[in-house]
Amino acid sequence: MMGQKAPSPSGGGQGGGYYDYPVVRRPVWTWEVPAYFWLGGLGAGAFITASLAQTFGSADDRRIAADGYYIAAAALVPCAPLLIADLGRPDRFHHMLRIFKPLSPMNLGAWTLTALTPFAFARAVSHAADTGLLHGPLRALARLVPRRLVELTGSLLGLTLAGYSGVLLGATNVPLWAKSKLLGGLFMASALSSGSAAVTVQAARGGEPETTLHRLATIESAASLGEMAVLAGYLVQSGKTARPLMNGRYAAPFWLGAVGGGTLLPLVLHGVARRHHGRTLRSLSTVAAVCTIAGSLVLRWSIFEAGKDSSEDQAASFDLSKA
Amino acid sequence: MIDGYKRLMNLEQPPAPKKAKGFFTDTSLCIGCKACEVACKQWNQLPADGFAITGNSYDNTGHLGATTWRHVQFIEQAKANGSRQEQRWLMMSDVCKHCANAACLEACPTGALVRTEFDTVYVQQDICNGCGFCVPACPFGVIDRVPKESTFEVGTAHKCTLCYDRLKDDMTPACAKSCPTASIQFGDVEELQRRARERLGELKARGESTARLYGMPEGTEAQEVGPLHAFFLLLDKPETYNLPEVPRLPRKTMAERYGWSAAVGFGFAIVAALVLRGGRQ
Repeated sequence: MMGQKAPSPSGGGQGGGYYDYPVVRRPVWTWEVPAYFWLGGLGAGAFITASLAQTFGSADDRRIAADGYYIAAAALVPCAPLLIADLGRPDRFHHMLRIFKPLSPMNLGAWTLTALTPFAFARAVSHAADTGLLHGPLRALARLVPRRLVELTGSLLGLTLAGYSGVLLGATNVPLWAKSKLLGGLFMASALSSGSAAVTVQAARGGEPETTLHRLATIESAASLGEMAVLAGYLVQSGKTARPLMNGRYAAPFWLGAVGGGTLLPLVLHGVARRHHGRTLRSLSTVAAVCTIAGSLVLRWSIFEAGKDSSEDQAASFDLSKA
Repeated sequence: MIDGYKRLMNLEQPPAPKKAKGFFTDTSLCIGCKACEVACKQWNQLPADGFAITGNSYDNTGHLGATTWRHVQFIEQAKANGSRQEQRWLMMSDVCKHCANAACLEACPTGALVRTEFDTVYVQQDICNGCGFCVPACPFGVIDRVPKESTFEVGTAHKCTLCYDRLKDDMTPACAKSCPTASIQFGDVEELQRRARERLGELKARGESTARLYGMPEGTEAQEVGPLHAFFLLLDKPETYNLPEVPRLPRKTMAERYGWSAAVGFGFAIVAALVLRGGRQ
């Protein structure tokens, strides 16, 4: 014993692995991916909320919620460019559609986005014809859109688009994304809360019947409550694997932005707004809904970025692969 | 008509399947010369990794990556034995495992990743659009995407091809050809598995009690990703070599993940429908 530091019994790493090298490779994706998840989810959520209102709502609900189709169409526009920008070879983006392979969530998502976008536009155009935004032959053309069919098909595609993103991240070996099976459900809830919030914002703009606004706020709050429940389950299942999210550099945006400002605050604000009328109701509802929408972005972004750090967590990788 | 379509789309008949080829990497024979790393880089014309000194024994390569398809690990072990220390130096040449159920291949949305006639996993460079999904899908951290500011096949995913071009001409892959100790053995997977079992028996008889095979059909590591067509004889537990105990195949849990997603989605639809109905007198 020369007083020299002896190499540790295994490979030199604290956790018994090979030095401190990660087991899996760090994902190469950048900010475009969470931005797309957010917009795609918001668009899908708005389309679903608007369609539910068409089927189950009152005449006022139907008229007001149909503005959600504008939001859906607008939110879906930047999605494909964001996805293409993130490719290593953007000039080959169309290779995504050279095969149909639903086993790959990435392929399923590319097809779903491609299919949903025209449906969202068709329904938005049809709504524009109803409200008198279109005239003459354009209006006659827009009237031809088979609404019920577009609403139903679009809603199913929307559920797929809102629901696959968390599954895509989960279908990897990144510990923070894969350890819990609930990430797909969490992103789905976040998509629906942000999508319904976008419809709430629209409804709060004019002097609409307050009962409709109340109902939209209730739907949004239900989605937020569901999101809280799924998030709690996700964090419990992830356990120690969630370290990069709970205490890392993404802890502040996650707790303050996604949980506090993005979910709890809107729940409280909607509760308070309910006791008011007129302008106060509308302002509070708008603020709450905007917080929900922003929180949804912060949620995707913080889990996405913390996941990249988690891929370098050797101990978490071994934990994921325990027999 | 189908023939005409195939001509039009330039579709070729896939080559007839051949016997599965693979590597048996016997780490008990590895001397850490890195000839495999060099031979691989030379044959496949991969750029150098630079001159970074990691400080981790003789390993200045670090890990497998887009332009590093063989990686020799150096594991220095010391164990107190009474008043003196017993030293052990483990070396292992890591490589793509060419899994029977490959996570990268299943993740690939473009069909760029294919299974060849030799039952190996291969990235078609003219198809890959660099979506990057295979990178975190691989449970072994093998495949990677070349950065956009590189000089080599920019933006697409790369990994060991098991020297597909050499296999086509009945040649041995460069790494196995260059290995001076037969630590890397190339051949038919079945034959290699037989040889591996025999070698393990020999080592056990000599008292190497911790020796084990990693990637055989009966191993726990084959539970999800299936037998590895590039498999290993290890002298310590898999974690020591940064190998996962049970490499996870994302497909296995996908249905459950979609299930939760759907449950939340339809749950929301029901609640929203009830709320809206309540407002319709």
